[in-house]
Amino acid sequence: MVAIRCTGLSRRFGSSVAVAGLDLEVEEGEFFALLGPNGAGKTTTLYMLITLLSPSEGEAYVLGRHVVREAEVVRRSIGIVFQDPVLDERLTAWENLEVHAVLYGLPLKVIRGAILEALAWASLEEVAHRPVRTFSGGMKRRLELARALMHKPRLLFLDEPTLGLDPQGRRQLWEKVQALRREGLTVFLTTHYLLEAEEADRVGILDRGRLVALGSPKELKRRVLGQEEGSLEEVFLALTGRGLRDGEATVRERFFSYRRRGGEHSR
Amino acid sequence: MIWEAGRPWAAGVVWIFWKREVLRYLRDRSQAFGGVSRTVLWLLILGYGLGASFRDIEGYTYAQYVFPGVMVLNVLFAGLQSAIVLVWDREVGLLREVLVSPAPMLAVSLGKLLGGATVAVVQGSIPLLFAPLVGVPFSLKGLILSWLVMFALGIMVTGFGIVLASRMRTFEGFGSISNGVIQPLYFLSGSIFPLKGVIGGVGFLDIPEALRLELERLGIHTIGGGWVVELPLWLKALVYANPVSYTLDLLRYVTLGYPQLPLGLNLSVAFLGPLLAAVGAAWAMEQMRRR
Repeated sequence: MVAIRCTGLSRRFGSSVAVAGLDLEVEEGEFFALLGPNGAGKTTTLYMLITLLSPSEGEAYVLGRHVVREAEVVRRSIGIVFQDPVLDERLTAWENLEVHAVLYGLPLKVIRGAILEALAWASLEEVAHRPVRTFSGGMKRRLELARALMHKPRLLFLDEPTLGLDPQGRRQLWEKVQALRREGLTVFLTTHYLLEAEEADRVGILDRGRLVALGSPKELKRRVLGQEEGSLEEVFLALTGRGLRDGEATVRERFFSYRRRGGEHSR
Repeated sequence: MIWEAGRPWAAGVVWIFWKREVLRYLRDRSQAFGGVSRTVLWLLILGYGLGASFRDIEGYTYAQYVFPGVMVLNVLFAGLQSAIVLVWDREVGLLREVLVSPAPMLAVSLGKLLGGATVAVVQGSIPLLFAPLVGVPFSLKGLILSWLVMFALGIMVTGFGIVLASRMRTFEGFGSISNGVIQPLYFLSGSIFPLKGVIGGVGFLDIPEALRLELERLGIHTIGGGWVVELPLWLKALVYANPVSYTLDLLRYVTLGYPQLPLGLNLSVAFLGPLLAAVGAAWAMEQMRRR
């Protein structure tokens, strides 16, 4: 079965085009990595698939359901780990998981068990009742990954999940994701750490809102570099050029700089 | 264990968001501290400081007069605080987790409103601890009624704040909420100056006995050395346009037994205001889901 199908998927913000006519299919059970330089449209694509942004044109189906017309069904069957922590820092790990369980309509009698299972999976049982703000970046990531799996999604979206993690944290997270793959979970990853994408079944490279390459890492190397040796990074640079992509500060980046300056109410 | 993510149970979602608001409040002592410090500033320092000049407002001391106003001030701060957290939530907090979940936003906003209003009632009750000091009589009926009024105002303010927060794109705007929203609502609600009636001031300016008796006949209590309040028309217009005025007046009625505005009008605002704000908040949060 096809897990994700996009046909002519586009999104404009005012006059700028973030994603332009994307055609893409991801099979169920596949580990798919979407690569691209900053501002290429990776996150915009992902946000359309997870029903947070409406497409300007084109269609997208997730697990056979339309992302706009059947958004609620789509939301029920997918799990997401966002780029930056999406946790309530004043709540404990337990309470954050409890919120998730209720939001996804887990039956009351399984909630406790599901929370315990998630905590064990993330090796966070010891700190279950500590506020999340005392957690390290790696602990938060593990908690978020465990949370994303709590409602047994069939498709897992990971948006640059290793951003800001140290090598140990990155390795740990990666082992978790690999284990999930072996269990047959479909994983859709966006990243610009190319080493992470080497292990993907297929890779799509997005540049300026367009898909410029699609295939297994081996295929891409053969096609672009003329040999199976070499790294995805070489493929990536060959396709997207070496120029720097400096965009404007995003709202989030502005927010963090505001917080660093000690802006009001930003606790 | 195998289970299917089902259709979220709306009552559960309301409950968990109510609980979240309350837990967040309990873990942030600075908010309670703000409530106490505002009470000391406005009720004790302003109340007794200004009360030395305005000695009598229709038979009440100035501290008694501002008492319900300080409760309202705490409700305004608490309600807007829980609403404004949305802006922060949207960028670095829990909101995206909520938006991608199958939970109905109506239930989420209802939970948030009820939670915000609960915190507002707790914060608004801080001045009640000072009631004996100021000479506000305590009664169980008055307590329960003032909780009801504060809860209604809490819903109204939190709902209004949610609509406001959903429109805010920058965080730099946070600071202007206090100066641009809370203070005007507070000052223009008859919280610190009476809307009408007779107030007593400096002792040497006596009302002529004839006028005093005339006023008594109209049911207006006066004292020697008082004068009749007459607000400038523009100020009057602003006060009457402010929905908080009516809720505050209702609160002054249940705590002191002293209303300045028609009771029917007060009750309608206290009932319709929260309803309207809740609809607005639910709509605003639904809009956040798809951009």
